[in-house]
Amino acid sequence: MSLVGAIGNDVLTLAAEAASTASGSGPGWMAAVPLLPLLASALCGLCLAGRIRSKLPAAIVVLSIAAAFAVTLFGFLGRADGAQVITIFEWIGLSWGSGPGETLSADFGFYMDGLSWLWMLFVTGLGSLIALYASEYMSGDKGYARFFAAFALFVFAMACLVMGDNLVLLYLGWEGVGLCSYLLIGYFYKRPAAVAAAKKAFIVNRIGDLGLAIGVFLTFVTFGTVEYDELFRMIDEGVAANGQPLEELWQTWTIPLLLMVGAFGKSAQLPLYVWLPDAMEGPTPVSALIHAATMVTAGVYLVARMFPLFVYDGVPHYALNTIAWVGTLTALFSATIGMAQFDIKRIMAYSTVSQLGYMFAGLGFLTTTGAAFHVFTHAFFKATLFLCCGAVMHGFAGQLDLRRLSGLIHMKGWLIVSLAMLVGCLNLAGFPLITAGYFSKDMILSQAFTTPDSIVPYSSLMGWILLITAGLTAYYTFRVFFRVFVGPVEYEPGDEVHDHGHDDHDTHDEHGHDHGFHPHAPGWAINTVLAVLAIASFAAIGTYFVDKDHHGWVGGLLHDSSAAYHAPAHEHHAAAPELKHGGVMLTAADDHGHAADEHAASHEAGHDDHGGAHAEAGTLFGQDPHAVMYYVSAAFGIVGIFIAWLLHYAGRKTAAKSKADLLLPFLGPIPTWAQNKWYVDELYDILFRGPLWLISHLFHIIDRLLVDGIVDGVGGIPRALARSLRVGQSGILQNYAVGMAGGLGVLLLIAWILTVAG
Amino acid sequence: MTDGFGLLLGAHPMIEKLQLSVPEIILFVAAVIVMVIGLSPRVQLRQLCGWVAGIALLAAAFAALLSPDSPNALLPDLIPFGKTLIAVIGVLLVMLVGGAADREYEAAVARGRVFDGIRSTRGEFYAFFLFSMMGLMLCTSADDLIWIFLALELTSLPTYVMVSISTSRSKSQEAGVKYFFLGAFGAAMFLYGFALLYGATGSTLLVDIAASFDSGINPMGMLGLIMALVGVSFKIAAVPMHFYTPDVYEGAATSVSAFLAFVPKAAGFFVLILLLATVGWTHGADENALPDAVRVTLWLMAAATMTVGNVMALLQTNVKRILAYSSIAHSGYMLVGLLAGPGGGAATNGLGAVLFYLMCYGFMNLGAFAVLACLERRPGMEVEDVDDLRGLCRRQPLLGGVMVLCSLSMLGLPPLLGLWGKLYLFTSAISAGEIAIVVIMGINSAIAAFYYLRLMAYPMLEDPTERSAELKVTPFAGRIIAGAISAASVVLLVIPADALLQRCNDAAQLGDVARRAIAEAERNEQPPAPVASDDRVADADRPR
Repeated sequence: MSLVGAIGNDVLTLAAEAASTASGSGPGWMAAVPLLPLLASALCGLCLAGRIRSKLPAAIVVLSIAAAFAVTLFGFLGRADGAQVITIFEWIGLSWGSGPGETLSADFGFYMDGLSWLWMLFVTGLGSLIALYASEYMSGDKGYARFFAAFALFVFAMACLVMGDNLVLLYLGWEGVGLCSYLLIGYFYKRPAAVAAAKKAFIVNRIGDLGLAIGVFLTFVTFGTVEYDELFRMIDEGVAANGQPLEELWQTWTIPLLLMVGAFGKSAQLPLYVWLPDAMEGPTPVSALIHAATMVTAGVYLVARMFPLFVYDGVPHYALNTIAWVGTLTALFSATIGMAQFDIKRIMAYSTVSQLGYMFAGLGFLTTTGAAFHVFTHAFFKATLFLCCGAVMHGFAGQLDLRRLSGLIHMKGWLIVSLAMLVGCLNLAGFPLITAGYFSKDMILSQAFTTPDSIVPYSSLMGWILLITAGLTAYYTFRVFFRVFVGPVEYEPGDEVHDHGHDDHDTHDEHGHDHGFHPHAPGWAINTVLAVLAIASFAAIGTYFVDKDHHGWVGGLLHDSSAAYHAPAHEHHAAAPELKHGGVMLTAADDHGHAADEHAASHEAGHDDHGGAHAEAGTLFGQDPHAVMYYVSAAFGIVGIFIAWLLHYAGRKTAAKSKADLLLPFLGPIPTWAQNKWYVDELYDILFRGPLWLISHLFHIIDRLLVDGIVDGVGGIPRALARSLRVGQSGILQNYAVGMAGGLGVLLLIAWILTVAG
Repeated sequence: MTDGFGLLLGAHPMIEKLQLSVPEIILFVAAVIVMVIGLSPRVQLRQLCGWVAGIALLAAAFAALLSPDSPNALLPDLIPFGKTLIAVIGVLLVMLVGGAADREYEAAVARGRVFDGIRSTRGEFYAFFLFSMMGLMLCTSADDLIWIFLALELTSLPTYVMVSISTSRSKSQEAGVKYFFLGAFGAAMFLYGFALLYGATGSTLLVDIAASFDSGINPMGMLGLIMALVGVSFKIAAVPMHFYTPDVYEGAATSVSAFLAFVPKAAGFFVLILLLATVGWTHGADENALPDAVRVTLWLMAAATMTVGNVMALLQTNVKRILAYSSIAHSGYMLVGLLAGPGGGAATNGLGAVLFYLMCYGFMNLGAFAVLACLERRPGMEVEDVDDLRGLCRRQPLLGGVMVLCSLSMLGLPPLLGLWGKLYLFTSAISAGEIAIVVIMGINSAIAAFYYLRLMAYPMLEDPTERSAELKVTPFAGRIIAGAISAASVVLLVIPADALLQRCNDAAQLGDVARRAIAEAERNEQPPAPVASDDRVADADRPR
């Protein structure tokens, strides 16, 4: 009851709690990372309430996220080895007994290991850059403060998701980012398409969230805790809360499956990917940050975070195998759709789905390093690509159709955008040697051929599918580049002057509508951000070469996190080398053993105790896949780019027509089908929406007739009663006295019966 | 000071009672003062009446807080708690009744009419106000049937006059007459009951009656008890004694209706607690249970009262009548607490819950009436129609806010005070095993939502109509302040609700005297002949 008192007590005990429970506790000032954006969000809310129409909200948000980045960087540089648990305050503490599983405790605390540091660095770093970009992009929009309030809130929620030291806080962040995503997709709430897209995103995500929620509940029921620290210790010991060995529990393989469903929803994997392409209705900075770089990788984070459970020995790895297949098929499927789209932002959306598929495939092939490295490089180059698309959209009044734009690089003020786009496209296409995207994709592809079939059945088949997809990716990526950014100069403004209205622009009045349309080139904020991001996309290669032992800087970080979870496995393995699942642990632990091509011989010598696993490892063209993959994937990439050049650049005279059109008669209806996204939305309509519509209308009728009838009927009873009682309320004194006397008489009679007669 | 007297005079019972009665004495003195200065031809002096009454009530509140232990009372801690609560609400009521009785006359005097003491009603109005408050305070410390009767009538008699003189309309006089006759009828009932109780037990002392009843109640005693309970129910406006309520509340000036809705009701509940304390309480499997007849009577009254109050309120369009029926319904809720009785901890003590609810009800009801008293179509013509509340929040944000908060609190919407009041009544009744009445109470709360939400929605969600836009705010700032304080209490008292409930729980504990007398009776293990009670009286060191 005395809420205030209880909160006060919590605050008082906080410091003591933090000191006593933390194992390798870290600095409490890390709390600034989520709280600064939260504060910024609240301030933006105040700006909104105060109807402030300056750029103040943008300044607040950019500074707060940049400060959060600085704090993260500072904490990262001074981090300790292993996981640091930082308890900020006691958040949920329920207890209904003293036994195991009878206490639910979830603190507002952070679990900082390599995985969460990596994620937080690019979330806050990219977040501040994209907020800066948005400060120009969104200028003049009436909802400026609203946009930045939701933007900052998103960073807060994402920080909770990534940094939280328990699954409940992760869930809070998970729902928080979902909410912000909903708010920002539907940002232009007067546009029906945006509202529909927001609803679609929210509803599809609910399906995944249900899986995650049940997964969290089941985790608690099984392990009696939701805190990672405790959870990983128990998984390490292989004993559930009730003392049963995990091998004997069905939960050990169901929990990963449930978490996987959550991850598929958030990260837009088959069959729940449908919301992400539509989410492009939101403002472009949102697409870049939330729907390309950060939020959609939360699924990858979740699987990597709970990896010890996914790779637990002695139970079948249904979840991992499903993840590998779903990731592979999603990559291929959305790449085919991307090939046939004309809206460049939508192409990028499908490529995001496709690249997320690669990441999941990487997780499925047990290379968390590959997946995380791809998340990391993808975050930069995909943000670059989206922001370039945004710049185009901004400059050409919402025009995004690649048939109506051409030769941007030759236009004044569009050089930086075009070059940044080129960098992004090269990365996405996996252009060999000079792009980070090439190395991160290779890591996943080669692992597909390395992982023995006994662990991931048909992994080399998936490897081939992914390789072909890589070729398709290169094709559709450069299709955009060759059509829009090079070639003859030609443009046509978009029909919609986008919602935040050029008319509102004070600074860009030169393109008045009365004397024709002039594209306006991006200003300093957009150009700076694009340049920084383009350079960062390139610079990301550097991280591949720094920590060779762990296959790059990202690998080093992952090695030091729950996604590696190797130490006990190694010991376990050394003690009982005959265990046949050693291979899982080896690769799960860290793929550096297989990965480092030129060190192949030396590592084989150095890891003799893993010999059994090596014997099973697959090959590609009879060679170590890691070595051969460099050439194979390079070939696929270059061929893809070449085909794009041939079809969309060589000899193209206009924006609308290219040589690709010549192929149309040979392909029959396939391009149309692909353009219509293989009719998946329509299929879902028939399979799910139709029956739901029928059922809901049935219920509506029942509700109208039966329930409303009952409710109205029941509601009428008091009135009917009142009408009959009203007769007694005549206003006549004598009647009242009679009523009183009568009442007394009745009560006395009853009392008489009860005492004397009864 | 009081302790000094106590030592000096060897704690003579009379002295002890005087010590307990310091708050009442303060009010009495103040009543005499206002009666005199109210007749003063000087308007400044006449205007002091309200201030004197208010300051006297504040002083009484402090005196009540500091009042000495009263080990010989049936519920000793009820006395300081009850008197403090009464005095605090009383201060708000004093603010509210400003200008109720003699507004037109004072306006005429201000226009130049010669002041005539005979025609002015100000002094007597405030004096009656204070006398009534005094009677209410005396109810809390009653230990004897005679005392109860006198205290109740001291509470009620001035209200008859207050209703009649509150406005110059004939409606008020009609209401006053109705109230007087029906009140006299009710008084006759419980006086008859008291007589029968005396006949059955041979004593008018509550302690003796309790001791006598401990080993069984004879039919005459039961008859007397039921008649007393039903008769006293007139004060709390419970079915079947509720008929007068809407008519009287509607006829009286709004501020006087607010007074009627709290003061006699509080007196009734204090007396009911004291009377029921003589027969023990039902609480789960406790043997010390209410006799079946009493329990069933209370149960029926509670169920009927809340149901009649709520369903009748549905049909009303006059806000004062709505609030009158709502006050009937609230009495029904509080009867549930009496039914549950004391027991267990703070959350399961029904009597504590009743006292707590009385406090909640005092604030939220007063706030709602204050809003009505603040709005008038022309001087002296306060609003009554629900439609007059339309768009109030837009025109008068403060008054609208008070109305919204108070009606939502009466509805029991979290996290306002009314919710906690209702919650404790629920928990106490559930722990006493009275599930059926809790269900009925829940259904009634749902019915009540209909008219409370109307009181909330009209000011908040509707636009002002032409008629409601014509309304003016009264020139009496005290009414607005009283409303604002009530609304603030409804919100802020939630924070110390736990501590307040603990306080109510303490106030509802049986004292040592009652325990000792009952234990004594049990030791004797004889069916006590009424006459035999003399020994125990001596034992309890009580005067006859």
